[in-house]
Amino acid sequence: MGEKKLGFLVLTALTAILTFAVVACGGGEKKTSVETPSAGGAAPPEQQVLVAQSAEPEFFDPHRSNFEQDIAVERALFRGLYQLELDSNDNVVAMPAMAAGEPQVSGNVYTIKLKDGLTWSDGKPLTAGDFEYSLKRECSPDVAGPYQYVLGAGMLDLAGCDAYFNGEGTADDVGVKAIDDTTLEMTLKAPKPTFTTIMSLWATFPVRQDIVEKFGDKWTDPANIVVNGPYTLTEFVAKDHVTLAPNPNWALEPKPLIQKLTVKFIDDQEVAFRAFQTGELDMTNIPATEIPTIQNDPNLKSQYLQIGSLRIWSIEMQLNNEVLKNEKVRLALSRAIDRESLVKVVYNDAYLPATYWLVKGIPGFQGNGPFENIIGFDEAAAKQALADAGYPNGQGFPKLTITVTDNPVRKAEGEFLQQAWKQILNIDTEIQAVDAKTRSSTFNSREFELFPGGWQNDYPDPENSLIGLFDTGGGNNKYDCSDADIDAKLSAAGAETDNTKRIQDLKDAETLIVTRLCGAAPIWQGAFLYLVDPKVGGVRANGAIDASMPGNWCPECWFIKAQ
Amino acid sequence: MTSYIIRRILQLIPVLWAVATITFILMHMVPGGPFTQDKALPANIVAALNRRYNLDEPLWKQYLLYLWNLLHGDLGLSFRGDRDVSQLIRDGFFVTAQLGVLAFIVAAVVGLGLGIFSALNQNGVLDYVGVFFATVGAALPNFVMASFLIIIFAVKLGWFQVLGWGGPIQFSQALDPSAWEWKKMVLPVIAVSTLPAAYIARVTRASMLEVLNQDYMRTARAKGLANLTVIGRHGLKNALIPVLTVMGPIAAVLVTGSFIIETVFAIPGVGRAFVDAVARRDYAMIMGSTLFYAVIVAVANLVVDVLYAAVDPRIRYGR
Repeated sequence: MGEKKLGFLVLTALTAILTFAVVACGGGEKKTSVETPSAGGAAPPEQQVLVAQSAEPEFFDPHRSNFEQDIAVERALFRGLYQLELDSNDNVVAMPAMAAGEPQVSGNVYTIKLKDGLTWSDGKPLTAGDFEYSLKRECSPDVAGPYQYVLGAGMLDLAGCDAYFNGEGTADDVGVKAIDDTTLEMTLKAPKPTFTTIMSLWATFPVRQDIVEKFGDKWTDPANIVVNGPYTLTEFVAKDHVTLAPNPNWALEPKPLIQKLTVKFIDDQEVAFRAFQTGELDMTNIPATEIPTIQNDPNLKSQYLQIGSLRIWSIEMQLNNEVLKNEKVRLALSRAIDRESLVKVVYNDAYLPATYWLVKGIPGFQGNGPFENIIGFDEAAAKQALADAGYPNGQGFPKLTITVTDNPVRKAEGEFLQQAWKQILNIDTEIQAVDAKTRSSTFNSREFELFPGGWQNDYPDPENSLIGLFDTGGGNNKYDCSDADIDAKLSAAGAETDNTKRIQDLKDAETLIVTRLCGAAPIWQGAFLYLVDPKVGGVRANGAIDASMPGNWCPECWFIKAQ
Repeated sequence: MTSYIIRRILQLIPVLWAVATITFILMHMVPGGPFTQDKALPANIVAALNRRYNLDEPLWKQYLLYLWNLLHGDLGLSFRGDRDVSQLIRDGFFVTAQLGVLAFIVAAVVGLGLGIFSALNQNGVLDYVGVFFATVGAALPNFVMASFLIIIFAVKLGWFQVLGWGGPIQFSQALDPSAWEWKKMVLPVIAVSTLPAAYIARVTRASMLEVLNQDYMRTARAKGLANLTVIGRHGLKNALIPVLTVMGPIAAVLVTGSFIIETVFAIPGVGRAFVDAVARRDYAMIMGSTLFYAVIVAVANLVVDVLYAAVDPRIRYGR
């Protein structure tokens, strides 16, 4: 019996050692035979097959879409009057796409001429009438588009759009009209400097009236869909993938080289990482937790792409709370956070420590310079601020709740904050880890105390980062920031038609918001983390526009290099 | 027997009604709804969306409307893409069932084989090997097993693939075996079948050992029958009864899918769809999936009870 038991133990030990050896030795290797591709040359058409990864989209109908993964695919299927591009200095600019040039502006009236000879994927002409229908459709209460508000008050403010949406007007009252087949006239409530930027968003993409009316909700099925973008939809399997193929009637340059673009739906980025290692994906998002593994593997490291996104993350603080309403308390909390350390420990240095709100990549970016010494990490100043607030060494400070999403990374971040505040300020906090919807619900109902959360821009302009978020009663102002000076700057910016003055007003607003910690203490700016197979060319990434897939502001730019 | 089966099926109706009602109540008690998000939608947009999906009606009205549609076989639309829930469940189940059936077969064959083998070689070296594998299989959570399998056999050795399901995802592919990719099927099936195989092996071994020591086994041997006949004809059938008890629920669990395995291998199955729907508060999908599971579990239990009668002549249903 004793011998048998020993044999048992030896067998167990051997198995464990063997497994450990196989797993620990070396890094993951890509299972494709990829030689160093020659610069510029493209592989023949039969090899132009690309498999990308994205979270699963809800819709392919641009007027009903709410999430990045939907928009990522829609950018390949459709294109608006304008599109965001990178100029030679890698700045984001809105350039004419379906439009022939810049709009003619006369007071509140914007007139846009379309390019000649535009057609849909089925050959029918793409006219101004299509844009009139589509913009009115985005304002329709029956469609219930979640991004209708970009055409409404505070944003583009298209005349009659909100009224129609709220049931106080008809489609005919909406201020968009096709003067003729190639001329579109739009009437806003006031001139808008960011007109062409907003007219590049997915909410303004054109759709075909006859197709929508004929097929109803099934108009985006592969058999029915008609598009004007570089790609068309050939196959869709729910929960699995969508396949795109080039649209022969794509009007602009470049013409897509990829003949078969498959987007696999994988929500768990850890899973996607493994699939990239086995060669089943050519490009993928990866979680920050895998960065050390990637950095230690020269093969993976050369395929790693990190690009700044327009997302700012902060500790949002409910200003109605009895202790958080005190600015010195908020200052203490902010100055006790070592942002560099947090980013390193929790996110493996994938993100940028930030004390600013206007993100890098948009006009008006001020960086950490003006704010680091006011709200940035400083133990002594943090302790002093808390003492000044009436809680020396944390005495008498109530226990606050930190609400986080129930996943390992966000919980780790919560624990980091909890420890920092305990060690430096000697205050106790409690972490409440809940699922995503519960967390959002807690935020929207204003029933939170400390809330790691932030903002992701819909378009690369500072107005999108501030208006609605920090003005009294703003739709996203759930932390109840209410400051007369900030309100003044934001409404001045909203009314200003001179772009330079407008940006300055917004920068001044940011300065007030950050230095007074009116609702949020910024901690980091995010980034997209990708692995891209070296055989893929044409990936010119820019976080100002990218979503879901690297360089997907120009999916027609992607190609497989000759090998 | 037939009247028994019919009675059991009729009993399903109040069960399903209870399941539907409890799920409906729980679903609406949980905070957050389908349109709740960090970047809060303006109130008028949420109102328009609620109107579009009839969510602005009073709850009792939504409940009755749901039951009414259910009686007509209409499970409603998923908020994700307005897709038909019954079609989503059907397509998802088509994939999950393949994985479940394959895993069940592997688990049954391996488990039974291992169990019988161990029992026949009791306390021998091979018995210990069998028990060792059974214990490891039962102790390791299946996602840990899956991670091991992926890293060793897919990433390092490149023998298999990890993404998606290799069998037919849609009915149209079912008759075209050339479209199947067996490389994708191996690892998920192993990961899913390991725990049930281990469990079946243990139960089989214990049951076999008990049967082998029975008097009638000794009598059969004394009559001079070949060992194989003794074990096969007289021993196995009796040993199988306890094994059948566990195989019923195992089959139900396997066929309804493991959310974790489906996530780890990105398999478009119904398990993943269900948990996803709960996270997203996709009401129609939650209701549809829960009712679907209730039916599957009830049917599986009925099948086990019927098999019982087939295997053990002492059991009689009816009066």
